[in-house]
Amino acid sequence: MSAFDQRRVPRILALLVALAVLAACTGETTDTTTGGTEGPTETEAPGETSPPGEPTTTAAASGEIVNPGLYVHAADDEPLSVDPAQVAAGEAGETVIAQVYERLVEIGPGGPDLIPSLSSEVPSVDNGLISEDGLTYTFPIREGVVFHDGSELTADVVKYNWDRVLTMNLPEGNSSVLADLVASTAVDGNNFVVTLNDRNAAFLNSVVTAAVASIASQEAIEANGGVQEGVVNEFMTANMVGTGPYTLEAWNRGENMQLSIFEDYWGEPAALDARIDQVADSDVRALGLQAGDYDSIETDPTFIGDLEGAEGVEIYSGDFLLEPVHMGMNMNIPEGSLPPEDTIPVDFFHDVNVRRGFNLAFDYQAFVDGAMAGLGAPIPHYLPQGMLGYDESLPTFERDLAAAEAAFTEAGYWDDGFTMTVIAEEGGIFEIAGLVLADSMAELNPAFQIRVLAVVETQFDEAHAQDPLQYAAWIKNADPFADPAALFDAYIHPDGEWGSVHGFANAYADPDLIASLVDEAAVELDQDRRVEIYQELTGLLYEDPVWLIPGNERALMAHRSWVQNFAMNPLWPRPSIKFAYFDKG
Amino acid sequence: MVDLTAPPTPAPVPIQGPWAVRARRFAEVSREVLRNPTTVIGLVIIVLLLSMAILAPVLTTPNVPDPYQMPRDWGARDEPPGTPGFPLGTTTTGGDVFYGVLWGARTSLQLSVIVVGITVTVGVIVGSLAGFIGGKIDEILMRIVDVFLAIPELIFALAIAAVLGPSFGNIIFALAVVFWVKYARIIRGQIIHIKQNEYVDAARVSGDSRFKIYRKDVLPNSITPVMVQATMDMGGIVLTAATLSFIGLAEAGLAEWGVLVADGQAGISAGKWWASTFPGLMVFLWALAFNLVGDGLRDVLDPRTERR
Amino acid sequence: MQIRDYVIRRLMIFPLIIVGTSIIVFALSRVGGNPIAIYIEHEMSAEEVAELEDRYGLNDPLPVQYLAWAGGVLTGDMGWSAVSAQPVTEALFDRIGASLELAIFAAIIAILMGIGLGTFGGARRDRLPDHVTRVVSISGASMPIFWFAILLLILFWVNLGWFSTGRSDPTIFATIAHPTGIYTLDALLAGNFTAFADAIHYLVLPSLTLAFGATAIIARMMRSSLVEELNEDYVDAARAKGLPERLVLRRHARRNALIPTVTVIGLGFGFLLQGTVVVEIIYRWPGIGRWMADAVLRGDQATIMAYVLFTSILFLFVNLVVDVMYAYLDRRVVLGA
Repeated sequence: MSAFDQRRVPRILALLVALAVLAACTGETTDTTTGGTEGPTETEAPGETSPPGEPTTTAAASGEIVNPGLYVHAADDEPLSVDPAQVAAGEAGETVIAQVYERLVEIGPGGPDLIPSLSSEVPSVDNGLISEDGLTYTFPIREGVVFHDGSELTADVVKYNWDRVLTMNLPEGNSSVLADLVASTAVDGNNFVVTLNDRNAAFLNSVVTAAVASIASQEAIEANGGVQEGVVNEFMTANMVGTGPYTLEAWNRGENMQLSIFEDYWGEPAALDARIDQVADSDVRALGLQAGDYDSIETDPTFIGDLEGAEGVEIYSGDFLLEPVHMGMNMNIPEGSLPPEDTIPVDFFHDVNVRRGFNLAFDYQAFVDGAMAGLGAPIPHYLPQGMLGYDESLPTFERDLAAAEAAFTEAGYWDDGFTMTVIAEEGGIFEIAGLVLADSMAELNPAFQIRVLAVVETQFDEAHAQDPLQYAAWIKNADPFADPAALFDAYIHPDGEWGSVHGFANAYADPDLIASLVDEAAVELDQDRRVEIYQELTGLLYEDPVWLIPGNERALMAHRSWVQNFAMNPLWPRPSIKFAYFDKG
Repeated sequence: MVDLTAPPTPAPVPIQGPWAVRARRFAEVSREVLRNPTTVIGLVIIVLLLSMAILAPVLTTPNVPDPYQMPRDWGARDEPPGTPGFPLGTTTTGGDVFYGVLWGARTSLQLSVIVVGITVTVGVIVGSLAGFIGGKIDEILMRIVDVFLAIPELIFALAIAAVLGPSFGNIIFALAVVFWVKYARIIRGQIIHIKQNEYVDAARVSGDSRFKIYRKDVLPNSITPVMVQATMDMGGIVLTAATLSFIGLAEAGLAEWGVLVADGQAGISAGKWWASTFPGLMVFLWALAFNLVGDGLRDVLDPRTERR
Repeated sequence: MQIRDYVIRRLMIFPLIIVGTSIIVFALSRVGGNPIAIYIEHEMSAEEVAELEDRYGLNDPLPVQYLAWAGGVLTGDMGWSAVSAQPVTEALFDRIGASLELAIFAAIIAILMGIGLGTFGGARRDRLPDHVTRVVSISGASMPIFWFAILLLILFWVNLGWFSTGRSDPTIFATIAHPTGIYTLDALLAGNFTAFADAIHYLVLPSLTLAFGATAIIARMMRSSLVEELNEDYVDAARAKGLPERLVLRRHARRNALIPTVTVIGLGFGFLLQGTVVVEIIYRWPGIGRWMADAVLRGDQATIMAYVLFTSILFLFVNLVVDVMYAYLDRRVVLGA
């Protein structure tokens, strides 16, 4: 017995020493074995217990490719569903849907331009596939396309899919995107024809390319529960039968989703099989990338600094996302709903001086450097870079403590101060934006206390979906919009989505003026005139802000340097990459 | 009944008689405890940690407006230890690790003292009622205790904290709800055991009121295993709270070790080891010290392993 | 009391405790937040939220909701687990094997290490080896697992490349059938030693990490029992007969000291069970611990309720077995004080 122990104790001690040494000497010695020499073991002869293909650092460090023929992406989140009819916008299911299902037209790899997909042409007025009145869209369905189950794509199948989404109409899904616009669908020979309620310039870009408009095998759906109004199809929730370059080979829940190259793909087949690993912990994702097990990882700017300079790792930083981080200011707070710590009155934000004071006090530089690792930028109030009408000479809020003091003095809060709770999602840039806000305000005046309530995602979503909202302020990025018309309608118009929830009518000096300008720009066909209106609005909103905009992120991802053709398109669903375009070597 | 929820706690050596006798016994126990070098190591670490907690406002400038929030210098992120002004370096959000380590000790002290205070009080009251009154009350209270004990501690705390949302107060509440049952169980067992002793009978015969018997004879003799458990829980509570922080239920920006470890971990392999190593070490030392002392106490108070 | 009577008495309390636990679990799910928070996205309108609440019966009175849930539990229908996109019962069944495998391996390691360290320390009471083993074993119980696990990964994954995260090499995993869900067992049943080696390889780090925490409980108990046994008269008698100390220890003292040590295995199991939550997150182990952590972070109440209830029942059951085992091993114990 004691012999057994005497062998064991020193070994455990050796391990502890090894860990201590490791912790002390840091990972600067990534490819040396400083720690390892302390803990020799007899059982770990490489090749004996190592299964084939097992990654080793030696391989990753020497540039030898780990997992050749397979692309591994480490995701932070597992889908709730992979049924296009059930997946909400921004939900993890979209990631897989983008790889396995296809839509009539797709957003191409290079930018916002559309490319043909299951429709052999992108409809336009010029090619006659969009009617003169802009209400009817005709999609000639590509011939010779087969689904993963071998069934054939026809215009009827496309109609079946669109109708299915509208019939099921699941509240958790994104069906309203279709329901709001589509008046009717029809089949005309080999064409699929959609008629809209109203002219809509964004129909192709934001509806036809959306995950909800994906096309699945009719045969597979009919064989597994069919379509029922308001009822979830459990087969489709977990299985995918599409036409895309990948098939969903296996879904090992909590572990990975395996995608295989679809050999009968109509277009250019993918070069690599793919696997999406579920890796909830960001530290583990970062470690796995360095070990070479992952080819790319879901990346958050808060830990990008930790990966810079790591061997064999590159950081892709692309265009600005069209979804700036917003701090919402609630001008419609129900009496008695604020957390007990808050001392602010419910009409706190009705005062323009308070809103301007926040905008002038916020430390934008700290946020861009601190939360976004320098890979971001403040935006003019209110057009982000990349959007129609953007002009860097437009007024942008900058930190000005003297002006902020004047504003809060004018509002009457300077002497007594206040406590306000801001709610944000924990563990990312939104929480950090909250901390920057808290620090900014405390630096301006120690009597200005901001409590950052960093809650888990679902609690945030729940609080955020309430109408009226129960908190004075929240932080989150805006929904991405490709065109300012939709953006201004949702975020600026006093009767729009947020305008009504937040009570912009209580805020604007002249709500009618704002409303009429937003409405005018939405129907104006002359682009120059539109730009003029949006820039005028930007000037008005700088004087009379209803948001605080901490900054705008860039598309960002850390990947192995052996990945070829790595590119992101922020217009694709996150993680904004398509595996089929990549190769390794 | 065999105690399944904690290692069988030692039956105490009955303490009776005047204060002088008790004081002598206390001195004896102290001497015994101090003979064990690991206990002494634990005590020394505890003294050091407590001094850190107490001296935190002296050694650092308290953050305004809330000293329990990390001070953040957004212009000095990821600075290594030894940077002027930041002896232990800074985090990715420019938080001062030295400040976090010191005020983290204060946070931990606050957390553990409050939770142990609440749980011991509640546990002793419930356990005493059950053990001393017995009968139906005992039966009902013990079934409630059984229910609470059926859910593993961390899992129970996790479920409660998740529901309540991330704040320091909620973590205290969650831990208090989870930890009190052990004390109720221990104290009840002790009381039932001691009630059978002769000196209690003697007191009863002499006409003392029930409450007086409880206060003078039963409680003082039941309290030693509670002390052992409480010492260990001082460490366990901080460890559990750090785990909850790691999973994502921490208050934002709080100077708490678990938060710091979780925030700083990704940097270790990229060479930025300090942000998580120091606070991680602190959690470990805190738990280790209290566990060592608790273990030493148990050894001494356990009559079965008494030295011959 | 007879063992049989004792078991019957315990079994009779069993349902009572489970009902109590289920009430706590249910209450937790309704106290804070929305039980269907996971389905709510920030883009949703209030009407859509209301529609969802209606679908999940949240407009019924609470007792009705409880009975509906409890009835479902009894018939094996515990609702839909959103975090794993399948029914709760199915998800539980899919994942339990992985967690059990991890817990059993960790338990074996912890028991071996605990008994070893405890014997080693107890036999050298109050000497340096005793102090060292005490510090080592208590270190395990004091280590923040999430921190320790990351340190191990940095060393063995990034720097040395010996181990990886996850449960298996997916290509090897796919080569065999998985009737039990316990990978090692399935590999043996399939007679596939590559798969078996793969399973063991991936088990090393997580089970060691998990075991390290539970070792202390067993080691400390083993040590005090051994010290107690060594104080007994029969040990002196054996020594007086001139039996070598090694044999005294091995033949007599250690065997008897093991009996009380059995009692803490239940406690150790609870420790392992809760440890799986953190270990499974970091090592990406697809068991019920990570399922729970996901559910907590994403507010999936159906999953949280099922998990807490299930682990409690498991915990109760293990404790009952340990209890009976102890009573059987040591006839001196009076059951049911």
